[in-house]
Parts: sequence; C-alpha cells; structure tokens
Amino acid sequence: MIRYFGRRLFHAVLVLFGVSLLMFLVQQAAPGDFLSEMRLNPQISPQALHTLRAQYGLDQPLPLRYAHWLSFVARGEFGYSFAYDMPASKLLWPRARNTLLLTVPALLISWLIAVPLGVLAAAQRGTWLGRLFSGGTSFLLAVPDVLLALLALMIALRTGLFPVGGMRSADPSHGRLADLAWHMVLPVGTLVLGSLPVILRHVRAAVSETLSSCYVRAAEGHGLRQLPLLFRHALPAAANPLISLFGISIAFLLSVSLLVETVMSWPGMGPLLLESILARDLFVVLGATMLSTLFPLAGNLIADVLLYGFDPRIRMEP
Amino acid sequence: MRQRHVFSWAAWFLVTVNAAALLAGFVAPYNYETQDRLRPYAPPTRLHLVDCEGKFHFWPFVYMTRPGGESLTEYQEDCGQRFPVRFFLSGDGYTVLGLFSGHRHLFGVDLPARMYLLGGDGLGRDQFSRMLYGAQVSLFAGALAALLAMMGGLLVGSIAGVYGGAIDDLCMRVTEVIIAVPPFYVLLAVRAFLPLQVSAPVMFLEIVAVLGFVAWGRPARLVRGVVLGARERSFVLAAQGFGASRAYLLRRHLMPLAMNAALTQMAVSIPQIILGEVVISFLGLGMSEPVPSWGNMLAQAQQYHVLTAHWWMLLPALALVPVTLAYQALADVLGSRLQSRI
Amino acid sequence: MTTFKYSRFVSVLALLVGCLSLPGFGGLAPQEELLTTTAEPGRPGGRLAIGEPFEPKTLNPLNAVDQPSLDVIRRTMADLIHINRATLKAEPALAKSWTATPDGKTLTLQLRRGIRFSDGAPFDADDVVFSFQVYLDEKVAAPQRVLLLIDDKPIKVEKLGQYTVRFSFSAPYAVGERVFDSVPVLPRHLLEKEYQEGRIKQVWTLSASPASMAGLGPFRLKSVAPGERVVLERNPYYWKVDSKGQRLPYLDELSFVMVPNTEAQVIRFMAGDIQAISPLSADGYASLAPDQQKHHYKLYDMGAGLEFNFLFFNLNEDTEGRLPEVARKQAWFRDVRFRQAVSRAIDRQAIARLAYHNRATPLVTHVTPGDKLWFDSSLAAPSQSLPEARRLLQQAGFSWKPDGALVDSHGTRVSFSILANSGNAQQTQSATLIQSDLSKLGMDVHVVTLEFRATVDRILQSHDYDVAVMRMANGDADPNPVMGILTSEGSTHVWSMGEKKPPQWQLEIDRLMQQQMITLDFRKRKKLYDQVQQILAREVPALFLVSPNILVAARENLANVRPAIMDNYILWNSDELFWRTPAGK
Repeated sequence: MIRYFGRRLFHAVLVLFGVSLLMFLVQQAAPGDFLSEMRLNPQISPQALHTLRAQYGLDQPLPLRYAHWLSFVARGEFGYSFAYDMPASKLLWPRARNTLLLTVPALLISWLIAVPLGVLAAAQRGTWLGRLFSGGTSFLLAVPDVLLALLALMIALRTGLFPVGGMRSADPSHGRLADLAWHMVLPVGTLVLGSLPVILRHVRAAVSETLSSCYVRAAEGHGLRQLPLLFRHALPAAANPLISLFGISIAFLLSVSLLVETVMSWPGMGPLLLESILARDLFVVLGATMLSTLFPLAGNLIADVLLYGFDPRIRMEP
Repeated sequence: MRQRHVFSWAAWFLVTVNAAALLAGFVAPYNYETQDRLRPYAPPTRLHLVDCEGKFHFWPFVYMTRPGGESLTEYQEDCGQRFPVRFFLSGDGYTVLGLFSGHRHLFGVDLPARMYLLGGDGLGRDQFSRMLYGAQVSLFAGALAALLAMMGGLLVGSIAGVYGGAIDDLCMRVTEVIIAVPPFYVLLAVRAFLPLQVSAPVMFLEIVAVLGFVAWGRPARLVRGVVLGARERSFVLAAQGFGASRAYLLRRHLMPLAMNAALTQMAVSIPQIILGEVVISFLGLGMSEPVPSWGNMLAQAQQYHVLTAHWWMLLPALALVPVTLAYQALADVLGSRLQSRI
Repeated sequence: MTTFKYSRFVSVLALLVGCLSLPGFGGLAPQEELLTTTAEPGRPGGRLAIGEPFEPKTLNPLNAVDQPSLDVIRRTMADLIHINRATLKAEPALAKSWTATPDGKTLTLQLRRGIRFSDGAPFDADDVVFSFQVYLDEKVAAPQRVLLLIDDKPIKVEKLGQYTVRFSFSAPYAVGERVFDSVPVLPRHLLEKEYQEGRIKQVWTLSASPASMAGLGPFRLKSVAPGERVVLERNPYYWKVDSKGQRLPYLDELSFVMVPNTEAQVIRFMAGDIQAISPLSADGYASLAPDQQKHHYKLYDMGAGLEFNFLFFNLNEDTEGRLPEVARKQAWFRDVRFRQAVSRAIDRQAIARLAYHNRATPLVTHVTPGDKLWFDSSLAAPSQSLPEARRLLQQAGFSWKPDGALVDSHGTRVSFSILANSGNAQQTQSATLIQSDLSKLGMDVHVVTLEFRATVDRILQSHDYDVAVMRMANGDADPNPVMGILTSEGSTHVWSMGEKKPPQWQLEIDRLMQQQMITLDFRKRKKLYDQVQQILAREVPALFLVSPNILVAARENLANVRPAIMDNYILWNSDELFWRTPAGK
C-alpha cells in the first residue's frame, strides 16, 4: 500500500517537474518579456530598464534561472512576482483559496446531482424520460460556458436578485458568511451547469454498460426490484471508471472556473493567471500552473485511494 | 429504427450546413468583407408582404433603412421605395473552393437597399454572409481538430492501456503535463515561430494542428481508463487465454470499446474546440480580420451593449448548438453500433 | 470676513487636536499653512467605489508604472507643484510659492509650514531632499528619474532652510515647475532606514500594513483585499480646506474595485457596486447613454484627450539584412508620396464613427485638439480622397493592372500587413477599416493581430513587421514628454528606432524639439512646436488617426465631478468630490 502511494507521489512530482521545465522553455520562446511594456514608456530610460533586467534576473541564462527557481521551490516558495514586487506565494494563496471556494462546492453539488440522475437516466434509456435526459444534457453540453456565464450575469442584472460579480459587498448587511454565500450562487451555479452534463453523461454510460452485463441481467432475472438493483449492484459495478472520472472532473472544473472567474470578476486564480501570462510575470504563471496542476493531482490521488479501497484488482498491480 | 431516424436527420443536417458553408460565395448575398459604413449594427432586415399602406404583394420585399433616432444604431424603414427579393442576382464577386468564380448570388436585393437576414455587425457587414463564410473555418477546422485530438487520444491512450508498466507511466505523465500547462501560454510561444503574415490555407492547417494538439490529453486519459477496465473483462481474458496477441486484442476487442468513449468525447469537445479559436485568434493564431470565423465573430459579441442591444451578434453561439447536437447524435449512433459489434 | 475668521478658527482647532492626539510630534509646530480651494464647498461623509480594469500592482511610487497603481498612489501622495488637470497650468501644492531665476536655471521653492503626513509626522525640507535623493539614485532605477534629468544631468537639490529648497538645472529649462508633477514627496521618517539598507523598492507592496505607510495625499491606505479591492480612508491631516473652512477631503472612504474588463465595469456600475467609471469605453458610453435619467447617473464626454492612435510604416534600417522582405517593402514606405497616398485613402471619420461610436476626433498629428495650448489650429485632419491618393501613387511611379491591383514601377504587387494589438478591439476595428480603404486603391493588405507584448516586441525589438497601428498617450499637455517619440534618438521613436542617417526633415524636427526645450517664452515655444506639427503633417512618417474622447460615468449626486483630460479623469480632484445626499444613493 505504502509502496503504491509512494510511487503515485513520485509520479506527481515528476509531472510537476515536467510542467515547470516546459513552462520555462516556453517562456524563453515567447515574444516579449515583463519589461516590454515599460520600453514603450518614455519615462523609463534604457539604463533603468537595464538595471531592472538585472534586478529581476532576466539577463541570466535559462538553466541558471531554472536552478534559481528550483532553490526557491525547495524552500517552499514560488519565486518572485516582477509586477507586484513581492513573493509570488503571497499572491497565490489567497486566490487559490477563493478558487477552491468555487470549485469544491461546485464539484460536490454536480456529483450529488449527477450520480442519482445518471443512474436513473441509464435505467430509463429508451423511454421518453431517458430521451428528455439525454436531450437536456446534449443541449447543455452544446451551450458554450462563456455564454452561460454571460447569461447568468444578465439575469442577475435584470432581476437584481444576485450580485453581478465580485466576492464581497462593501458593507454586507446580513453578515459576512451570508454575503459570501450570496455572491457564490451565480458562479457556482454556472460551474455546476457547465460540468454537470459531462459528468452525467459518463455516469449514464458507465451504469448502462453494467446494466447490460450478465450478472445484472441475472439479478434482474431473480426478480430484484429495480431501485435496489440499480443502486446496490449496478452503481458499485460502475464505480471504477466513475472514480477515475472524479479526478478528471476536478481538472475540468478548475479550467471552467478560471473562465467563470474572469467573466464574473471573482478574485481567484483565473484573472491572476490571465493577467500574469499577458504580463510575462513568469514566476506567478509558474506558481499558478503548479497549483492548478496540484489540485487535480491531489484529486487523482484521492480517487486512487478510493479505487484502492473499492477495487481489489488494483492491489494486485505492482 | 428510431435511432436510424435520428442518424439520418443529423447526417442530413450536417451535410446541408457544410455544403452551404462550402458554397458560401453563392449562398451568401454579400462578401464577408463588404462593409456598409452607414449601417453599423443594422438589425435583421424585415421581409414584408404588406407595404406601409396596407397593400398586399405576392412577392416578398424589403424597405431600405435609414439611421434614425439619437444613437448611431437606430434605424427606421423608408416606405418610399420597395425592393423586391430577387434570386440569382449579380453582386460581389467570389470564388468557390478556388475552382470557379462568379458574381451571381442565390438571393438578395438591389442596392442601395441591403438584406441582412441576421443583422449587421459593428462595421455594417452582413452577419448571415459572415456566418456562412465563418463556417468554412469553424466547422471544418473544428471537426478536423476534434478528429485529430481523438486519434491522438486513441493512440496514446490505448498504447498506455494495453502495454501498461513503464510505457503506461511515460504516456500518462506526458499527457498530464500537456493537460496541466495552460495552452494559452504555450501558444504564445508557438506564434513566435510562425511568420507574421500567414496565408489562409496554411493558417487553416495551423488552426487544426494547434486546436487538435491542445485537446488530445483528455481523450487519452479516458481511453486508457476504458482499455484498462476492458482488459479485465471476461471476453478479453478469454481471448488472451486462447493466446491472442496484444495487437489482435487491441484491434478486435479493445479498440471498438475505446472508440466509443473517444467518439463521445469528440462530439462533446467540438463546441469547445470551435470556441477555442477565440483564444487562439487573440494570440494571432486564428483567422484575423476581416476573414470571419465563428470564434472571432463571438469574440466581438462578449460585450454588454451587444448583449442588450444587438442580440443577433450572438447567433454564431446559438448556431453552435444544433451543430453540436447533430455531431453528438452521430457519435451516439456510431458508438452504439461499435458496441454491438463486440 | 466671517468665513475668514471661521477658517482660522477651524485650522487652529485642527492644529490643537493634532497636537493633542499626537503628543510625540508636538512641541513648537508652526502654524499650518493650508491651501484654500475654490470649488463648491460640500458635505463630508460617504464612500465612493470606482472600478479598475487591473489590480494595482504596488503602492510604492518607486515601482509604479501601471495606471491602476498610479491612480491609487496619486490619492495617497502629493507633489510639490501640481499641474491642475482642468486648466493644465502649474499650481502650488506642497510648495506654496516658487521663484525662478531669469536664466531659467534655478527654482527656489517655499514649502508649506506646519503640515503633516497622514500618520501625523511633520513635513519639511528634509523630506523633499530625501525624496529627490532617492528618485535620482541610479541604483534605485525609479521611473521618475528620467524626468529629473535635464540634458542628461540630474537636477541638483539643496536645502536652504527648514521650509526652503533650491533646485538647479544644468541648462535653462523651459517648464521647470512642471517637472515636479507626479514626483511625490516620500516620508523620510518611514523610509530612510529602508533606503540605506537598499530595500526601498521592496517596501509598500500590496501586502504592506497601513501603519507602515504615510503620504501627503487626501487619502491613506485602510485595507487591501487581494484581487478584489484596495480601500483608502480620509487623511485627517490633509492640507487643503474649502472656502467654508472645512478640511478636505469630504469622502470617508475611496475604494478601487477590480473589475477585469470594461464591459463588466458597465454591469457593476448599473448594479450600483461602483459609482463611477473612469475611463469609460465608447461602447460602454453607447450602452449607458439611453438610461441616464431613469437610473440617476450622468455621462460626461470631455472631447479629445491626450491619447492618439496612429499607423506607422516600418522605416527601421535593416543593416544586417535580416529581413529582406521588409526591406523590399521599405522602398515604397520611404517614398513620401506613398505615405501621403495612404493617408489620403483612410477614412478617419469612419474610424471615429464605427470603432468609437462617434466619440473620437480625427487627427492630423499627435497633438490632439484636446491639447488646447499646443494644438496648431491651422492644420486640419486629412479628409478621405481616393482620386488624390491615386494621383499621388501615379506620381510615385505606381500603376494599376487591368484587374485593379496596384503594382510598383518594377511590376511588384503592393502587398503588406498591418499589425494591431488584439487586446484593443477599437484598434482591430480601425485596422480592418483601413484594410478595406486601402484595398480600394488596389493594395493587398492583411490585418495581423497579436497579443500586446508580442506586438511591442516586434515593433521595438525585432522590427519584423510592415505597418503597425498603435496608441500612445501624451503624459502631459506639453511638448517635452513626446521627445522620445518625435526625435530620432528617442527611446520610443517607433517607426525608426536609433536612426543612423535621419532624413533632412527629421533632423529639422530634432533641432526644433531641442530648441523648444530651452526656450522660456511660451509664444516662441508654441511657434517652434507648430513647425514640428507642420513637418509631421507634410512628411507623414506616421499617420495619426483619431483621438478617443475622454468619457466618464458617475452617479448623478456625486458633486464636484469635473472630468479632466489627464491622469485619472475623475479622481484628479478626489479631495473635492462629495455626495449631495447621504449614503451615496
């Protein structure tokens, strides 16, 4: 067991290492650097730019800079933000927290809805209810996420029921937590609508596959009632691919979240990542990517733990 | 029976849309870059059968519109002159597929009136014509890129799943790295390796390659999961017991299963891929003005004033819905056929 | 008379309160020399939230180059002599008066006595000397440094008394007093140690505690919510009073709310989360305009600002032969008739109308009609004339193929690309309109959009482009800040960087610009600058397109809103803004 997870952990580190290396190479190839914008500013002299280049270490060769960054990481830091002139971790942690504030509830809600609904849809396949399900999910899948977010904003603006962006009011009237929850409704709702159809489809597919397998048919033949059959036999049998999907769905939600945050001005990692990519604020980009790699990896790890508990066959693997 | 019904509907719909896109020059009443600078954000032109005096006409016609009201984008119909809808009239020149050229259009009205079925954009260009031309890029590039991503995913995922061990590890780590790195960032660098001005066909191939490359990670993981699961299933184990080679197993048993998953994923990813073009346009990797694509048309539509006052600018997004639905239906049917073959 | 007595009374009272609350700084403080403003006296209280497209990056004036940071810092800090954003004239700020010697080489400033930083510490000449020492320090590399170099030599600063400072320039400098604008005075008592330890650029980040900061501006830092908002509160020690003797500012709180794009700002404004938008986009203006009365807000269109959009040809000398394609096209670009023809073919009115909803002004040079002091009114923006453009092209040896394609004298098709920044929708639209205009001349033109830094990199570093459109803003209504763009040696002379053999007219521009810098008489300077504008209009090294109007939105009951064409259009007089009715509703 420990060996198995040790290996997993090692893989995670390997992936993070690969990502950081690739990011460094890309940064080298991307046109312009952090100082490009300042070059256009007539107030900043070439000498000052030269000094800044040296200060930020932009004049050093790539391997040296990478080694420098690794030494930062070894100390539990993410490097330094050129734009904000402060440690990148100070920028990243509060925003990562805000992003999780959206994605974790969205993840739980969409799975809580998707599993029962998906199982029912699988059982009702071929009936009008099943067709309604698949039609509904297909439609939701086809609507772009940006459009969903924009529509949510329009509804909020027209009805005045929900805030049209941001995370907190200037002076919350119903207590801080209630205010936060009120601000979370729309972004979380959009995330759920965006991720639900994908998860739902996979749940339905996985369950309907087990439904067609012989032992479920056998159970059916023995006269088991439908609901217990579905939830006690078909669902556990389908658990294996679903648990793997859980890990993937975290990554998926995270990527949709980055978009929703930007549209709804939620102070999460999305706006920061976008801004720092455009500003070539290398270490912030790197840190944000590391974090958004870390979360799905953690999700995968959790999924693996679950799978380990669930599926004895995995334990056989070296 | 019902399935075949859905299949034929979806297929016919896609064939029609794609044909209209290919023949955009002829079907569209205007060229994609024809501007009418006096009609920015012109609302969809109304087709009339009854004129201002209440008289009925047997042939549909339009009225010319003039700017009216305070803002630049309010229009009033001018009842003075009727412009009947005409077929096969002469207009902007075009070429279809670079093979033959012409100047006859399926329908339209005589100048100076304009017939903007789906309204005009901010530069007074016909949204309907631009959508047809844009479909050339978005539909074909989107579908090809999705196909490319599926093939890539299928290849890597099934190799990883079948061989397992170190090969699996390697494939999956590479996939995870690709999924983790923000594509926006990588493409920034990719653009630097291309010349400033890229010809349209090269740009098309490049869009397919870029969008396909970005999207293969997820199908790869999915396919691997399916293959891993299937390896334990009885018929595979049985075949293995009979001494079937890995390649045989892959071809005969695992591939169809994996195909099913990948096809679903492909259908699902088409709208995302088409919209992904918005992002790569921003980086200078997509079609640039004045050449339209649904992606760069939508990029303009994400504005508050467009949402409230010029709703027709959102039509490319709505057009994505039936197209995606059709692709999904195709994928569903193909998938279940494959499944039944196992 | 009564108001005068009242104001004296209030200031004495304020002084007493100040002394009582901060015994540590008490003692023999001189009488506070406050500045009395002429704006409409208001009522104190309330808060104002304004949207910013990006988060301010820093609160440290030594690092700040982005607009949001400057917006905040200019509220928390103050300068010695300030350029009034409404009149564009220099006026007293922390210096209550100044005298220049007739040779224009020295400037002696009398500082305001008895005033205090926002933490209660007194201000005097030592703070000024310290600030300029920091700004001029080469190791600090502050963005203000280049402003304080006259003829490449730093300004000399001497303390003559506790409230008197003398500045000496190495050469006569025409607008000595304008130099001090946006060079905020730093608190020596807080920063001297950091400066000596070489850490001064690492202080006052967004995570700094409010207690570690102080300034002389109307507001001081209250709190920062990362990625969300920066909140400032009223500085109780601010050195301005209104005509009723009330100490400014009126607002209790001023917050900067991060709203990532201008469209979202409109939505947040409609919902009441923010009460002002500055600057407002032309699109935003168009969508807000219909409901002004119903929703109780007011839109302001202040006409052309100091920003100019322009198109320029790549005239960089390719000495190493790296870019043969560009070099081939430069044969066309270097012909003034070709450039003039392009200029005459462009429909600037259409750009203003379609890309900016008619809220932009066509230009002939970089000096916009908004820059009323310096604009040469004898020049008019060129109107579109295709026949004239054809005539010019014909003169330059170009001809047309039967299918209408334009070819040069060697028979090569005229074909080039226009580089634009994809992040700027108006710029992309302008480029598309230009592309369409030029195709009417038979030119084969393509629009290429790249992300901002990639665009800048091509323009400034690799020079790998044909033609580009760009926007720039003149930082001040004065010729000096555009030296970098117009002179051949300038660091932002974008169309031909580091020119080795400038053409005759460019040498003339260089000479005129150098001369105006050391001319003291305004009318003579204006004449020199007019000549520069005429050369630019004639030689068209760059084609100036339009200047977007300054647009601002604010709630109806926010008083003293007088949008300016510089700096933050609405916040420049943040100390005078107040709510007519309580609670800002």
